[in-house]
Amino acid sequence: MNLTDEEKRMLAGERGEVIAKAMDYLVQFGDAFDAQRFADVIYAHYPAEMSIYRGSCEEVIEYAQTGATVCIPTTSSTLACDLDRWNDYGCPAPIFALQMQAVEAHRAMGILGTYTCTPQLIGFIPPRGANIISVESSAIIYFNSVLGARTNRGGLFTRYAAVTGKYPLMGYLLDEHRRGTHLFRLRLGPDDLIHDSDHSALGFHIGAIVGSEVPVIDGLPAGATQDQLIALGAALATSGSVTLFHAPPHTAEADSVEAAFAGSKPKEIRTVTRAEIDAAYDALTTIDAGAGIDFITLGCPHYTLAQLRFVADWLKRRGAKVHENVRFWVCTNRMTRQAAAWEGIVRIIEDAGGLVIADTCPVECHMRTSTCREYGLPTPQVRAMVTDSCKMARYVGDLIGCRTALRPREACLEAAVSGRLESASHTCDE
Amino acid sequence: MTTHTIKARGMVRGRVQGEALVCRKAFSFLGDVDMDSGAIIAHGHEHEGESIAGKVMIYPETKGSSGGCVVLTTLARQNRQPAAIILEKPADTNMVEGAILAGVALLCQPQRPLIDAVPSGTLVTVDGSAGEISWKD
Repeated sequence: MNLTDEEKRMLAGERGEVIAKAMDYLVQFGDAFDAQRFADVIYAHYPAEMSIYRGSCEEVIEYAQTGATVCIPTTSSTLACDLDRWNDYGCPAPIFALQMQAVEAHRAMGILGTYTCTPQLIGFIPPRGANIISVESSAIIYFNSVLGARTNRGGLFTRYAAVTGKYPLMGYLLDEHRRGTHLFRLRLGPDDLIHDSDHSALGFHIGAIVGSEVPVIDGLPAGATQDQLIALGAALATSGSVTLFHAPPHTAEADSVEAAFAGSKPKEIRTVTRAEIDAAYDALTTIDAGAGIDFITLGCPHYTLAQLRFVADWLKRRGAKVHENVRFWVCTNRMTRQAAAWEGIVRIIEDAGGLVIADTCPVECHMRTSTCREYGLPTPQVRAMVTDSCKMARYVGDLIGCRTALRPREACLEAAVSGRLESASHTCDE
Repeated sequence: MTTHTIKARGMVRGRVQGEALVCRKAFSFLGDVDMDSGAIIAHGHEHEGESIAGKVMIYPETKGSSGGCVVLTTLARQNRQPAAIILEKPADTNMVEGAILAGVALLCQPQRPLIDAVPSGTLVTVDGSAGEISWKD
């Protein structure tokens, strides 16, 4: 890599051992991928060390003792527990205690305690063209696609980028990797793409086809919402490792399909009908219709205030109570939960028997079977989870080992109340 | 005895020598290996029970969660990391990050396939900076 004079001085130790070491790692990293120089990054979304991964918290506690601090605004992704409500859902005290020590280390490093997979919902909206570094596949794809900021799939080196403000200019930071590769033409009726879960299923279908390439989605209806684009992106990054998509004119970089391909030819052109969306619902639904269910998760990725409002209004309108066999979690970030508490939304959901969880979610917390084994905990008795998110359905199947059903939000709420999966239908006429 | 030297794409520096541990299938650091001992714990794996510590691992590609790079650094803290890793397919960023932090030489895309050419146990010399792999048979 070609370094500027300032970067050479950082590498030589002019700003201390911590910066020199971070620069050494980043130079090795850039050289491995033939990066020519560094980009200045203006924002980082950091992979918060979680107490469900052995050695992870201890490592950041040790690192923070070097005095390292971040030099750009840095938010943090999800934790292994809800820092305020951990005791309300059976989180073992040692998982909370160790997590809290890591939180102190993050604080000492200047990392903001946001603890969410949706930093874009709490004011971190990097402008189009900005170079950033982010973890969390659903946030990465939103930053790249909807906002037009530029990030690769961050990993452990997000820390060194946050400490130095530098990241090798490579991958999705470069124009040549941002062009569309595959074209998907939507042939859908007016009722085929309504629920957030429909968008999630659409993303799940397309992600499985393109893997790590750049799909262009033509024909997303006018009026696509932030919630829908979050759901679509999260699912694209679940069945595939999609980092960037274009859905002209809803996404930042292309007003037209032609612009999305920027002169290159699609490797593949496909048509998508409701049949493909239905197939994604079916693939993620392993609970038999009519069978009892014991867990409902909404809020993957973390819900917006408007989505929380919808849930509260639905419950209030019906005077509904969550079935006694069902754990009903609505996951969001702690800032949105605070706003929802002020609106009276949290109270309505919790009076009905649900829990508004922040900082974490079922697959990031102690309920993972591998974590239970490691800590000698009883495995969580979750047999059948209904959710409106392909990402949750996919990972909970692997990590908690329960059966799943993908349903629109209203159908999830119906199931929460009745304690069973009402029908095999994906649509909801309510 | 013939000395073979072939080129590969050098991703992470380090000039090391070790016994080859050749795996025919994609390898996952998260789940396939014990974080303390470095022993392969994946049931039915062709090298189940063997340690990866100090070995030159040769396999097609890394699979599984990005959490795998944390396993590599955890192994390194206990000095149970492999000496080098050679991937037949391109290395992804997470694998490279893990190898840099663990101080493991990493090469990928050798100019010809190694999985059938190098038997496990062969003494292999690896140079991550020069992108060179050599062994005798």
